[in-house]
Amino acid sequence: MTRLTRLLGAAFATLVGLFLIAPVAVTVASSLTATSYVTFPPQGLTLRWYGEVLAKPEFLSSFALSAGVALAAAALSAVVGLAGGLAIHRHRFPGRAALEAVLSSAFAVPTIVLGIGLLQWFAQMGLASSPFTLLLAHLVLTVPYAVRLVLAGLSGLDRSAEKAAAGLGAPPFLVFWHVTLPAVRGALIGGAFFAFITSFDDLTVALFVVTTDLQTLPVRIFNYMQYDYDPTVTAIGTLMVLFAVIAVVVIERFVGVAKLFGADTQERS
Amino acid sequence: MAAVGRLAGGARLSRPRWRTGLLLALPAIVIFAALFVAPLFTLVANSFRTQTGAFTLGNYARFLGDPFYRDVLWNTLKVAALTTAGCLLVGYPFALYMRARSPRVRNRLALLLLSPLLISMVIRAYGWLVVLGPNGPVASAFQALGLTPPQLLYNDTAVLIGMVHVMLAYMVLPLMGSLDRIDPTLVPAAKGLGASGWTCFWRITLPLSAPGMLAGAMIVFSLTASSFVTPAILGGPKVKLMPYFVYTQATTTLDWPYAAAIGFVLVVVTTGLLLGYSRLLRRGNGEVVFG
Repeated sequence: MTRLTRLLGAAFATLVGLFLIAPVAVTVASSLTATSYVTFPPQGLTLRWYGEVLAKPEFLSSFALSAGVALAAAALSAVVGLAGGLAIHRHRFPGRAALEAVLSSAFAVPTIVLGIGLLQWFAQMGLASSPFTLLLAHLVLTVPYAVRLVLAGLSGLDRSAEKAAAGLGAPPFLVFWHVTLPAVRGALIGGAFFAFITSFDDLTVALFVVTTDLQTLPVRIFNYMQYDYDPTVTAIGTLMVLFAVIAVVVIERFVGVAKLFGADTQERS
Repeated sequence: MAAVGRLAGGARLSRPRWRTGLLLALPAIVIFAALFVAPLFTLVANSFRTQTGAFTLGNYARFLGDPFYRDVLWNTLKVAALTTAGCLLVGYPFALYMRARSPRVRNRLALLLLSPLLISMVIRAYGWLVVLGPNGPVASAFQALGLTPPQLLYNDTAVLIGMVHVMLAYMVLPLMGSLDRIDPTLVPAAKGLGASGWTCFWRITLPLSAPGMLAGAMIVFSLTASSFVTPAILGGPKVKLMPYFVYTQATTTLDWPYAAAIGFVLVVVTTGLLLGYSRLLRRGNGEVVFG
């Protein structure tokens, strides 16, 4: 009986695992097909579609735009997240409760609603769409996560270490640099990488903020998909998956992916 | 005495003046005031305007009065409810399976669950287009059995498959939190008193994991109701969901006030649920926090 249940459990878990990796596995595999349409299992073996990606300048410029905005979003989220996290965690100031409420409701407001709100607000302000407005829009998506991770890092920090350092005569800056910062280093690196992929992958907000001559990579792919069904998209997809895998390895190493989504899968004491 | 003075200095570190705090929080405050609060206020204000700017309740009256849009609202709730049910059906046994593994394996499984959330949405949805498409593995499996493959794309089923795939983690992780909090001696105690495995599950595990199920269900429901990319790619215009109409009204029809009104109805539906959820969490001792 127990053996049977265990076997059934393993079979079920394998099926769920297959379900979870199916779209990515199939995308990667079919990027190698020699046919001019997407098919799985792939027929033949070629790297032609990767060449096609590199031969399309619009994809390359979209990649550059996406990567640039994502890098800026990552760096700014880390800085703003660290400052905001420190402020919320250890200071009382006017507007603190409001800031906390706004940051947590940012998780709850549908991205599409944020997108259309930004579209109408930018139009009202007379702000034309540019990489800069896109960056601003992405910060709204990424900063709440950065703050959340910094707060988690700070709550694990023993304040007596800071007091000891200060008591031994270290000026505030050195206390911050040698005691506080190392405690949130993992949160910052993880948060920055997560901000990078969030910005890099965002389609919903970008669709509202960009124009036809300013298309991020996801927008470019989304538009390309409407007209073409050739394996070029699978090749780009594979490259993007590769990108995400690197980011995930880094996040997992520094903070743990589950923490980003507010859950802790580590054993509780 | 000097030591006391230093300690007092240390204590000052933990009670800085509010100005430092405000200064540190300023970038975040500015960003969220200018790019989150202001746009949402604009949106709400615009939803009460006509295209020419006069005050009106017409956008909401139009949404609620038009059978087509009532159908859109209904279908949105239906797809969200079905996705929630699907996540529960797949996620509950998976959470039970995860709970019985070592922490190491558990962590791997959690990463596997979260992996769809970390892959580009467009690529993930495109992958499902291939999997469910006419040249995909599902269709060839049907053909190998001599059957005509069913139409799997551009309908509710396609959206459902794609959404359960992304949302599964949001169901399983809170569920794991709940399962972990169950006193591990309860089930052996009940067994010792003669209860069968099934009774133990039905009378102990299931009721005690209800908070996790409820939390997961609310998150999955509201995130599904408001998601755009996956349904747009897998369902297309044929699957009538609110986010899709927010998008088309804003970018194709260019009726911004009406798009704003649909968007606001969507916010009311989804955040209403999430607020209820966080209230529930605060009452219980929930550890899994969403937002």
